[in-house]
Amino acid sequence: MNLFTGFFKRQAPRSSTQPGLYHYRIQRPDETARVHLRLEADGSGTLIVNANRILHLNPTAAWMAKQVLDGRSQAEIISAGRQTWDVHPQTLLNDFSTFNFQLGELIRPDGACPVHELELETIAPFSARPSAPYRLDLALTYRCNNDCAHCYNARERQFAELNTEDWRKIIDTAWELGIPHIVFTGGEPTLRDDLPDLIAHAEANGQITGLNTNARRLSDPHFVQKLVEAGLDHVQITVESCDPVIHNQMVRASAFHQTIQGLKNALATRLFVMTNTTMLQTNVHTIPATLDFLADLGVPTIGLNALIYSGKGKSVGTGLPERDLKPLLETARQKTEARGQRLIWYTPTQYCHFDPVQMELGVKGCTAAQYNLCVEPNGDVLPCQSYYHPLGNLLQDEWHTIWNHPLAVKLRERQDLPLKCQGCALLAECGGGCPLQFSTSALHDGLAGI
Amino acid sequence: MKHRILAFVLVCALVFGLSTSAAAQTYRFQLPKEEVHVYWNSDGTVAVDYQFTFLNDVSADPIDFVDVGLPNGSYDFGTIQADVNGKPVRVTSDYQGDGPYGVAVELGNQAIQPGKTGTVHVYIGKIERMYYPDSKDETYASGEFSPTWFGAQYVSGNTDLSVIFHLPQGVQAEEPRYHLPTNWPGTQEPAFGFDADGRVTYTWRSTQANGYTQYTFGASYPAKYLPEDAIVRTTFLDLLLGGLAALFGLIARLLPFCCFGVFFFGLPVLTAVQEHRRKKQYIPPKISIEGHGIKRGLTAVEAAILMGQPLEKVMQMILFGVVKKGAAQVEKRDPLELSVADPLPEGLREYEKDFLEAFRRPQLSVRRELLRDMTVRLVKSVTEKMKGFSGKETIEYYKSINEKAWRQIEAAGTPEVKSQMFEEALEWTMLDKDYDDRARRVFTGPVYVPTWWGRYDPVFRSSTAASAPSAAGGGFNLGSGRGSALPGAELAASIVTSTQNFAQRVLGGNFTESVTKVTNPPPPPSRSGSYRSGGGGCACACACAGCACACAGGGR
Repeated sequence: MNLFTGFFKRQAPRSSTQPGLYHYRIQRPDETARVHLRLEADGSGTLIVNANRILHLNPTAAWMAKQVLDGRSQAEIISAGRQTWDVHPQTLLNDFSTFNFQLGELIRPDGACPVHELELETIAPFSARPSAPYRLDLALTYRCNNDCAHCYNARERQFAELNTEDWRKIIDTAWELGIPHIVFTGGEPTLRDDLPDLIAHAEANGQITGLNTNARRLSDPHFVQKLVEAGLDHVQITVESCDPVIHNQMVRASAFHQTIQGLKNALATRLFVMTNTTMLQTNVHTIPATLDFLADLGVPTIGLNALIYSGKGKSVGTGLPERDLKPLLETARQKTEARGQRLIWYTPTQYCHFDPVQMELGVKGCTAAQYNLCVEPNGDVLPCQSYYHPLGNLLQDEWHTIWNHPLAVKLRERQDLPLKCQGCALLAECGGGCPLQFSTSALHDGLAGI
Repeated sequence: MKHRILAFVLVCALVFGLSTSAAAQTYRFQLPKEEVHVYWNSDGTVAVDYQFTFLNDVSADPIDFVDVGLPNGSYDFGTIQADVNGKPVRVTSDYQGDGPYGVAVELGNQAIQPGKTGTVHVYIGKIERMYYPDSKDETYASGEFSPTWFGAQYVSGNTDLSVIFHLPQGVQAEEPRYHLPTNWPGTQEPAFGFDADGRVTYTWRSTQANGYTQYTFGASYPAKYLPEDAIVRTTFLDLLLGGLAALFGLIARLLPFCCFGVFFFGLPVLTAVQEHRRKKQYIPPKISIEGHGIKRGLTAVEAAILMGQPLEKVMQMILFGVVKKGAAQVEKRDPLELSVADPLPEGLREYEKDFLEAFRRPQLSVRRELLRDMTVRLVKSVTEKMKGFSGKETIEYYKSINEKAWRQIEAAGTPEVKSQMFEEALEWTMLDKDYDDRARRVFTGPVYVPTWWGRYDPVFRSSTAASAPSAAGGGFNLGSGRGSALPGAELAASIVTSTQNFAQRVLGGNFTESVTKVTNPPPPPSRSGSYRSGGGGCACACACAGCACACAGGGR
């Protein structure tokens, strides 16, 4: 009887909204969008467009999104909707028309702004509590061909590494958990020869893949081509300065020319390319020139961040005070705007020292153990790739014990923030900044009990 | 006796019918007791009397509709009655269950609430075309019946189920034969008896039944007790076509109900708590995004731009601002002429500086051009500030500020306090689209004017000793007997008249158009239109906190 029930269910319009992650490639003449729809058990959903726009759908919207993305016609959707809900047909039609228009705009890369044009409901920043993160960083190895003095890595370089099959399992587990976005990082992930295989595996699942690299190995165009053919979507390349001496000084290797060649090779492909530069005392005076240099190379997106207080970063002593960031970012904003580039600033700061919203850089706050997680080379799960406190092992432990680990909850719920943050009107956005900078904070005191 | 293959198809199809309709259910209940009387009448009709005892789950929705499916359209609607706990309820033809035939029982205010028990009684008095030939004995007629069952995901627990067949009047005790029931947990052989009318009865009863299994019961008896034309005769072709159609699911949803009347012996009455209330409660679709909603920190002038207030009102607000700050003094009201302080005081906003610069120019056309440029810059500045913030929520927020300002003024205990509050919130109150009326309503008595009022009103300045103070800043002449006051209506009229003069004498007729031509604001969303006149994506930072953007990591 189950056999027949199953057979018939495949014909039924209401049988396709099972919880899970659904992937769609929406091909248009001049653009392709990668859309993921994560349906939860309660019927609600999350729409993730090109891995960088997260939209929350109530059950009705999630249902409609599934129908539309599955390619059902309006007539089919309205008909199925009438069987699903107790609703007047005209109401359903009107609501669906509005929803369908919004969905179309949200999927279009140059579609309307969801906030000030579509007027979607806004909910407090970082208020979503997803069942799994949206992005999983896979630190394939802690080995590296650079030796940055400010590197956040707190592990030994020869840290144990999983084999290819185990990484595949981890990628599959991520897919089953509903994680649509995989970023390969390290260490230096290109030192793993199986990187193209792993990219291809994730892409075959339907995941969007990215790579964080120093790009030295990308100086080999054949290797870049392998990554492209594997399906890699985006690459982030660390360029510390346009001055070879400064760059090499910061990465403590003779790497500049390889890195820039790697950058050029990547730019010559279809990959979405961005650079990242850590603003430190060492390179701060070259930042304007570096921005010009990158613009001349044709880098479309520029990433900037401040020192991460982890690993060597804790003691390097070259970090810039948060309050010194404003003029630098102002310069960066003007320069990138003038050159038609996108500027991404992603260091969580305390807004009382540096407010990225006022700088029109967007809301930036810590998303560790909420929207992203990191898997170490041995399968251990970290709240983020700079926070070296494992929540469990993805190959060995149950997901709920990892996701609901006390530290994960503490970070998500922004517990034990500095006293000065209590009652602050900006707390939702700011979240107290990067938890790693609380060298003597209650957060770390609190962790002692975990 | 039966066509096995067709029976098999029937079961599968019914399961499909239930599972698909059940897919939308949110119900959970028990069916502790069910009693069904099936009256096989000698006039060739069948009557069915259902009595369901539902125990609704504490966390479930109320059961307030019961759709009763019928095997064919040959039923008499007028014979159908229903009640809940003995209280009659309405039966309508608004059937929304699976299959083409049925009625809806509307429980209405007798709906069975969560955690409560209720007995639903449904009586179907007349259904025709329900008798079939017996396949083993051509002198016999046959009928089979399956009481209703529900989706297993909605009903739980055991059911004390009794099915009582009342055979046609005249059938003798030794004549009828029962069919072995299918799936039945109780005794296969029914209890034999007679009802009050002397009709032979077969009773199957089990306390171990449940509400989600299909049980089939049947009986045969001599056809002579029925009118000849009451027996439905089918051909081999009917059977063949029906079976094939069922097997391949060609008419998957409708087939089971179509088939009942045509091909089968029994009366499968599919009753279901479905559709009306099995359907989910509709909640309009909603997409939300993490980010800022309200843009706080706009000035009243900026809020006025955002709210689409008339530009002459915006100008009037800017005028009040610069006069209050001591940056300008009105020399002539009509046409408006200002004297601008030199040097300008600290703390002026860009649009205020631009405004004053315009009024430094004596030539009206140049002044208008500069005011237009100022307005364009102001609009663009507000647009820029609004990126990533909700315009709708922000407008509502500033409306609430406006309302709050008025309420505070209205609630002020004395004219002095009222005047002070008015002065403090003057620009915010001007956001009110019915400013004139409201000001007249609120200020029924004299209004103590602020000290800077003399800089704004040349007539007032010349007529009062307290006029034209040289220092910037607010404050009222509130000393006893020393305060300067205007009738409230006069004050309101002064502001309104001034605003009108701005429109007519300063800005001219096509000022707004000259501004919007340049600012080219994006039109409001429409389903058919495009958002932007020029390409490019949304440049807004979007405050998209939920973004798991491609900027993973870094800092190495």
